[in-house]
Amino acid sequence: MKRHLVTFLAFCLAITAGPQDTFLIRDVTLHPVSGPDIPLTSVFVEDGIVADVGPKLAVPKGTKVVDGKGLHLYPGMIDSATTLGMAEIGAVRETTDVAELGDFNPQLRALVAVNPSSEHLPVARANGITSAIALPSGGIIAGQAGLMHLDGWTWEDMDIKRSAAMHLRFPTISLQADESMGRRGADTPASFSEGKRRYDETLQKLRIFFEDARRYQKAKAAGGAGFTVDRKLEAMLPVLEGKQPVMVTAGRKRAIADALDFAKRENLKIILAGCREFTPELLKEIKARGVPVILPETLALPLDEDDPYDALFTIPSQLHREGILFAFATFDSSAVRNLPYQAAAAVPFGLEREDALKAVTLNAAKIWGVEDRVGSVDKGKWADLVLADGDLLETKTQIKQMWMRGRSVDLSTRHTKLADKYASRPD
Amino acid sequence: MRISMIAATLAAAALCSAAGPALPVIAIRNATVHTASGPVLEKSTVVVRNGLIEAVGPSVTAPADAWVLEAPSLHVYPGLTDAMSSWGLPAATPPAAGPGAATAPPPPARGPEDRPSNSSWVRAQDLVNPSDRTVTAARNAGFTTAAVFPTAGIFAGQGALVNLAGEKAGQMTVATPLGQYLSLSPRGFTSFPGSLMGVVAYVRQVYLDADAYRAEKAAYAANPRGARRPAYDRALEGVLESPRLLLPAVWAKELVRMTELAAEFKRPTILYGAHDAARVAPYLAKSGAAVLVSLKWPERARDPDPEADEALRILELRENAPAAPAALAKAGVKFAFYAGGVERPADLRAAVKKAIDAGLDREAAVRALTLSAAEIYGVADHTGSIEPGKIANLTITDGALFQTSTKIKFVLIDGVKYEPAPEAPARQQQEEKR
Repeated sequence: MKRHLVTFLAFCLAITAGPQDTFLIRDVTLHPVSGPDIPLTSVFVEDGIVADVGPKLAVPKGTKVVDGKGLHLYPGMIDSATTLGMAEIGAVRETTDVAELGDFNPQLRALVAVNPSSEHLPVARANGITSAIALPSGGIIAGQAGLMHLDGWTWEDMDIKRSAAMHLRFPTISLQADESMGRRGADTPASFSEGKRRYDETLQKLRIFFEDARRYQKAKAAGGAGFTVDRKLEAMLPVLEGKQPVMVTAGRKRAIADALDFAKRENLKIILAGCREFTPELLKEIKARGVPVILPETLALPLDEDDPYDALFTIPSQLHREGILFAFATFDSSAVRNLPYQAAAAVPFGLEREDALKAVTLNAAKIWGVEDRVGSVDKGKWADLVLADGDLLETKTQIKQMWMRGRSVDLSTRHTKLADKYASRPD
Repeated sequence: MRISMIAATLAAAALCSAAGPALPVIAIRNATVHTASGPVLEKSTVVVRNGLIEAVGPSVTAPADAWVLEAPSLHVYPGLTDAMSSWGLPAATPPAAGPGAATAPPPPARGPEDRPSNSSWVRAQDLVNPSDRTVTAARNAGFTTAAVFPTAGIFAGQGALVNLAGEKAGQMTVATPLGQYLSLSPRGFTSFPGSLMGVVAYVRQVYLDADAYRAEKAAYAANPRGARRPAYDRALEGVLESPRLLLPAVWAKELVRMTELAAEFKRPTILYGAHDAARVAPYLAKSGAAVLVSLKWPERARDPDPEADEALRILELRENAPAAPAALAKAGVKFAFYAGGVERPADLRAAVKKAIDAGLDREAAVRALTLSAAEIYGVADHTGSIEPGKIANLTITDGALFQTSTKIKFVLIDGVKYEPAPEAPARQQQEEKR
């Protein structure tokens, strides 16, 4: 029995790690993110794990060596909300699978819907992003967001944390014209009372759903004879038990305040996402309750006509000053490659360079509860590494090499393939 | 023999109805007469005969055959004219396309050659319904006359000046066509023109096409033999028939933009909306454009989001709009008022009073509701003021027109007296009741 277990473990090791997962990166400038930058050092990766960091490392003979002279080593970036692998071409309905029908779909896992062959994955990788949250949308409870590596043959290969959070799209009362289109949507309520009525209705539905889930939890614990499994309510149990956070998308201050109230009433562990507007009171409460925040694009127009031009540019630095844990996300599939620039855009508006970098690496890992594996270059963590010829957040920087769990990843994309094709065209 | 006699009788009947039945001679005696074209005449008499004003003045005596209305405390105004409205038109003017147009959505347009959103040939006088509820509503508000326009589409159609009483639509028409009504609403992303810029380009193209079409038709008419005939284009026919064009412009930048656009078309232009006109009044005066100011002053939304901040731009417009007429008057811009959907008499009085409170001279306000509209549409020689020989459209009130307590006593339209229905209680009281 014991022998079997050992063979099984050895087998597991054999498929997850190989000799190619062991190598030394020499003479590199290391940005571990968890601590200060270290110039001219080496990183030893053994079986996909960062085994040692130091200027002079003793490594086994025959270890593959990567010359890092003049290059910078970073942890791979994490995009904290994307539709990668679920939305290929916006205008082609058949290639878009981000939303399911119905108001409550807690049993759905976005990761299952991810297409590992999406053309957007290599493009995101080429800019230094190694992992991302796959975020489902549609309805009120849209499903479970999962954290994935941006490379793999199947979604199981890519899986880092398949149930990272439950996505709750918090209802809003919005009488404003659709911000992107500048016109009233067909669904925009005609008056505030109408909007409020619909909002109250949705909120009631949500409350009832949580009540049902709690009743189900009790019934299950009691284990009566008549108990039958309900997939939807079953999926709510980790949320009720506080094991799984609820990722609540709420854009404007009223929605954020309402979401915080709701979380307090229902005693939920939440992550706020997509927030674009804060008041000092809200920031204090978010800080006091230790709620992390996922921020959408930095370079966006102000929400209201009379807002200062930099209303949204300064949000990251405000959050940082307040001591709130936050990370950036693109909420997109084709724009994931812009994640580093989204973080960089906050730097001229008061966010320190190191904190911008944290917001796309270590802080994201902390928010998603995977900081023991990813988010920084530290002994014992996965070797999710990016070797770049400059500052990771700088647009002109080129990514030279990337590893996921020590495995070298292909950096060619549809763009590079086309570039090569036309560059080799005979005159 | 018999047949021809019947025909003769019918012809006589037709003649009779065209001229209308004999009308009573009316003399309004001892009233304060606001002629609009001249000074206010105290203790004067207005004599109306056969639907026309026969005489006016302090020394005029009522003829022996006249029905004399003693009016020592009454004010007589020229019939109020709504300079742009849809009184008497069906609620949603159909785009008047082919059969089945009501059910099937129009196919997406590929470009200006498809003439999307264009019913320029539609004439308001053909759509007027004398028994429409709004005709009575307008009269109740003191209006005797309105410039009515179809409003559906970018090129909505041609307006007509109508008197707001009559058994048949034909009797109501005073002058037509007044001009082409344009709106600038894009048609959405799926069809040309999908944006404001597209709409402006489209309007420009239609006017270019119309001028080319006219030249082509003239050349063909002069020498048809051996030439290919130009294809008939009703959309351009309608544009060519219209003596002037009406363009929407509320904000200052829109007023300037539309003035510049209209200058390219070399046609008389009327800008409507004009709430932000105070900022560009001297510019408008120089351009020579006529302006119609909506009496529907911008208001805060009925049921707004209590937490939403309104933009400063919106607040400013709300504050400044009622001062636009005074600014236009001062700069010497030809302007008139239109109700813009304000229907209740009390609301109308309040709306005009706002403009007066913001600096508009009282008689200028009267003019903007009477003679100015007639002048803008080129019909001031036979209507719009109280002068002998003009159409007997009069509005008679029991006090100065725009005081809150003033009531409309009656109106004369084509010399016929109409009394308004009793005024409904003010909106506030109604809401409290609910």
